[in-house]
Order: sequence, then C-alpha cells, then structure tokens
Amino acid sequence: MIGFIEATISGILMGGLYGFIAVSLSLIFGVAKIVNFAHGALFMVAMFLVYWILVLLKVDPYLSSLIAAGFLFFFGYFFQRLFIEPILRREKETAPLTVILLTSGLMMIIENVALLLFGADYRTVKTGYTGKVWEIAGLFIAQPRMIGFVLSFILILLLGLYLRKTNLGRAIRATSQDREAARLMGIDDYRVYKITFGVGGIMLGFAAAFLVPFYFVHPAVGELFVLKSFVIVVLGGLGSITGAFLAGIIVGIIESLGAQFINSALVESLIFIIFIGCLVVKPTGLLGKQRE
Amino acid sequence: MSWNRTLFALAVLAAVLFPLVVRDPYFLHATITVLLFAFLGSSWNIIGGLAGQHSFGHSAFLGIGAYVSTILFIYWNVPPFLGMIIGGIIAAIASIGIGYPCFKLRGPYFALSTLAFTEIFRIIATTTEQVGPVDIKGAAGILISFRPGNSFVNFQFAEKAYYYYIILAMLILILFIHNWIEKSRWGLYLAAIRDNEDAARSIGINARRFKILALMISAFFGAMAGTFYAQFFLYIEPTLFSSALSIEILLIAIVGGAGTLMGPFLGSLILTPISELTRTYLGGTYAGVQLIIYGGVLVAIMMFAPQGIIPPLAKRYRMLFERRA
Repeated sequence: MIGFIEATISGILMGGLYGFIAVSLSLIFGVAKIVNFAHGALFMVAMFLVYWILVLLKVDPYLSSLIAAGFLFFFGYFFQRLFIEPILRREKETAPLTVILLTSGLMMIIENVALLLFGADYRTVKTGYTGKVWEIAGLFIAQPRMIGFVLSFILILLLGLYLRKTNLGRAIRATSQDREAARLMGIDDYRVYKITFGVGGIMLGFAAAFLVPFYFVHPAVGELFVLKSFVIVVLGGLGSITGAFLAGIIVGIIESLGAQFINSALVESLIFIIFIGCLVVKPTGLLGKQRE
Repeated sequence: MSWNRTLFALAVLAAVLFPLVVRDPYFLHATITVLLFAFLGSSWNIIGGLAGQHSFGHSAFLGIGAYVSTILFIYWNVPPFLGMIIGGIIAAIASIGIGYPCFKLRGPYFALSTLAFTEIFRIIATTTEQVGPVDIKGAAGILISFRPGNSFVNFQFAEKAYYYYIILAMLILILFIHNWIEKSRWGLYLAAIRDNEDAARSIGINARRFKILALMISAFFGAMAGTFYAQFFLYIEPTLFSSALSIEILLIAIVGGAGTLMGPFLGSLILTPISELTRTYLGGTYAGVQLIIYGGVLVAIMMFAPQGIIPPLAKRYRMLFERRA
C-alpha cells in the first residue's frame, strides 16, 4: 500500500513536469498551429546548457534556469523568425505538414550535432539535494522532484496571469482564437507567433533546468518527452493550459504506477493507445473547447 | 507521349544491363539499397503522394512484412516469396485497423496518430521475447542464417545481381501500378481528396473508403519491401518499426516530389548514397553525420522547394520541348 501511494506521488510530481513541458508545447501548437517536432531538441539544448553551467561554473540549476529560460526565449524567437515564418508567409495559410517536416529536419540536425559534440554518454549531476528525500507522514518524497513540481506550478499560474492580464497576452489569446479577426483588430500576427514561440521557450528552459538535478542528460533525451508532450496536449485539450497540466499529471501517474505494477515498456504503448483513442473519440480533450 | 515511352524503354534497358557492366559487389550492393528505398518511397507515395495523406507510420508495414516472412521462413520453412505475399496481406489488413481511426483525423493529427501506431508496434516488438513457439528475441532482433547457393525458394543468393533484378522488377511493378492508379477514375478521386477533402465529399466521394483502399495498397507494397530487406540484409530488428525510419521513407518521396511518378526514385538516388557513404567512411565515430545531412536536406527542401525536386524540373523539361516544337 505504501508502495502504491509513493508511486502515485512520484507519478504526480513527474507528471507536473510533463504537464509543464506540454504547456510550452501547447502554447506553440495552440496559438500558431505549429507542430513543433524540434521541441524535444530545444529541451535537450536547455538541459545541456544547465548541465555545463553546473559542471563548469558550479552554478545551481535552479539559478541557471533563468539563463536557460532567457536563452531559449531568443532561440525560440529566432527559430520561428528564420525557419517557420518564411513558410507561413509563403503558403498564406497554416501549413502544418510542411512545418512538421521542417521541424523534424531541424530536430535531426540539432540532436545529431549534440551527439557529435557531447557523445552518447548518459550524464548525471551531483547537487546538494540529488537523492535527498523529505519524510512526510511516513512517506518518502524526493526533494528535487517536489521542488520542480512546485516551481512548475507557480510558473504555470504566472503564465496564465500573463495571458489574461497583459496586452501581449491578450493578443496571443486573440490570435489563437481567430487569426483573421485578430489581424483585423490590428494585431501583428507574425509578431505574436514569434513572441509565443519565445514564451514557450522560456517555459521549456525552466522545465529543463528543473529536470537536470534528478534525470540524465543525453542528446536524445528530448525524444522521450516530445511525443509524450503531444499526447498530453491532445489529452488535455488544445490550447488549454489547465488541461495540459492535469493531463500531464494523469500521464505521470499512469507511467509511475504502470512501471511499478505492469511493465514500463508496455505502459509507454498504453499511453500511445490512449492518445489515439482520445483523438478519435474526443478530439477536444479533457478541457478543450468545441471549436469549428 | 511516344517520347516518354522511348525514354522509359531506354532507362529500363540501361537498368537491365547495369549489373553486366558493373561488377564491383560494393557498388552493386549500394545500388540495390538505392532501389529498395526508391521502392519504399514509391509505396509510401500511393497514400502520401496520390492521396495526400502524409503518413508517419509507413515503417509499421515494412516491419510487419519483414517479421512475418522471416518467422514463417525460419520456423515453418515457408519460401520467402510466399511469405512476402502473406506479409503483404497481413499488412493490408492491419492498415484497415490503422486507417479506420486515423482517417478520421486530418493534417498534423493524422501524422501524429500514424506515428503513434508505428511506435506502438515498435514497443511491442522490442518487449516481446516469445509468442507461443516463436522466438521473436525482442530488442536483439532475428538473424537469418545464410543458406549457400542461389535459390529462389530460400530467396537467398550468393550473387548480388539476383537481388538487383528482383528489386528492379518490384520497382517497375510499383511504378506501373502508380501510373495506373493516377490515370484511373479512382486516382482522380484520390487527387480530389488530396486537394480539398470537403469539396470531394460534397460531390459524393466516399473519402474514407478510398483513402483506406490507397493505404491498403501502400501497406501491401511496404510489407513486400520488408521481406526483401530481411532477405537481403539477413537481419531484422524492432527499429524497423521506428518512426525515424518512417520519416526517412517519407523524406525520400518528398525530396523527389510527393505524388510524382519518379519522385521517390530521384529522392532515393540523392539521399541513399549519402547515407551509404557516410556509414561506410565515417562509420561509428561520426554516427550522426548522416542524419545531420538528412536534416539539412529536409530543411532546405521545405524552405526552398516544398513540392520536391521533380515539379520544377518537369516545368523546365516541358518548356524545353515546347520551344523545340
């Protein structure tokens, strides 16, 4: 029983991070309708950034998360500006297929350049809290997971506030609801896309930094997260931040319980099966709004 | 029209004579790989090009074909040529199961759901060690022991030229089928669905049925390529089901020109040698270089020639002839 509860808690904590990564993907997918296969590769870049800062400069990951977030803002911004925007401008409409192929090409490049530079070793870090646990009511909770979860939750709340209360946030939401109407109201949609990509990058940078203390760093680490993130985004409902966070937690619980009681590889396929089922039966997801 | 036919006959003649001139086994091996991927790209082209449904799950069919014929061959001595047909039929049946839910979706959702399907297959193949009496060997993959001599029953040949002629015949067959579909009434339905599915449905085209039919044919030939792959390399593993391989296949078709007859061939002619050469000369030390080049080509094509190489070329070619005439 204790094992069950601990697995559930560990699943919730990991799921919170999944949800956080999915929120950043959902922002880009939901607003600009861009299927960004390179999302995982950007995530990996941020993880390596935090890793090297920690190894070479001995800066704590939670502090360097700010650097990673800032770096990924510009990375995302120019990623959109240099590669995706020309295609969107040329094809005049949302051109998802061309963009999927483009971003998968960029993913191949980024991942394999990282492989050339850093090799295929699984790197882990040692920090003051790696492997430390808190004992709460007889349950052991890993410290870095708990910290990552809480910080992710706070950042998601801040993102929600940003989207609701600021002008740029309102512009982002307007563009996601109806691009043409937003244009007619004088919103520069391409600028909104770039900013959205940048903001998604910020979230991704934070998520990467929160993961480094208790996970491995590897050139292909992003692949583990990117497909799962798409599953979570669809499960939670496109464009819904709360939905993505909740769906992340659900996926985390399934994974953690499954790894303990069934078989971790089969659980991975179970998640894909849920994904297909969800797309077919209820494509709007848990909290997505009906839109047409 | 007669010009095209003459050109085609000349190309086939050159291809038939090719192994008589080129004796170098390494070069012949590379050529066979080029033709195999041209065939794979062409089989994807039926669903991805003619019907415009960019499936990210084509490797599922390749894997089914490879595993079915190999298991039948090793455990029950079924000749792989027969196994090829059985694998093709199983893949076609599986494609109904995949197509039925996935064709409810469009664009990126369709791509993602087909990708999820092939990943499910990969995970199952990786984790399954044994099914009844059959040893699938999970992640380790299955080695096919070589039986010496040139035998059509075993689909194993000491001389590579045999493999060359088989894959060449398969490629010519699929090009004929592509051409036939494109010109048929059904091909026009597919083109209508590709260009505007809602409009096609509004004039009474049963879009989903025709898309599933196209997927079944595509799957059948994809599985045939799987059997050829298994018998040529004599080793199969779960990565045959991977989405990365799917992306490689659709890349070949798209770089050449999705939907065009010779697009996959041209794409394979450009891309497969790159991967063969980097694999041979850079090998283990720079394992990722091939994929960096692939990624670069993909990005460049998407940014500067999203229709692939053939359509702009065809335009020039046509202009050339019009000027002469």
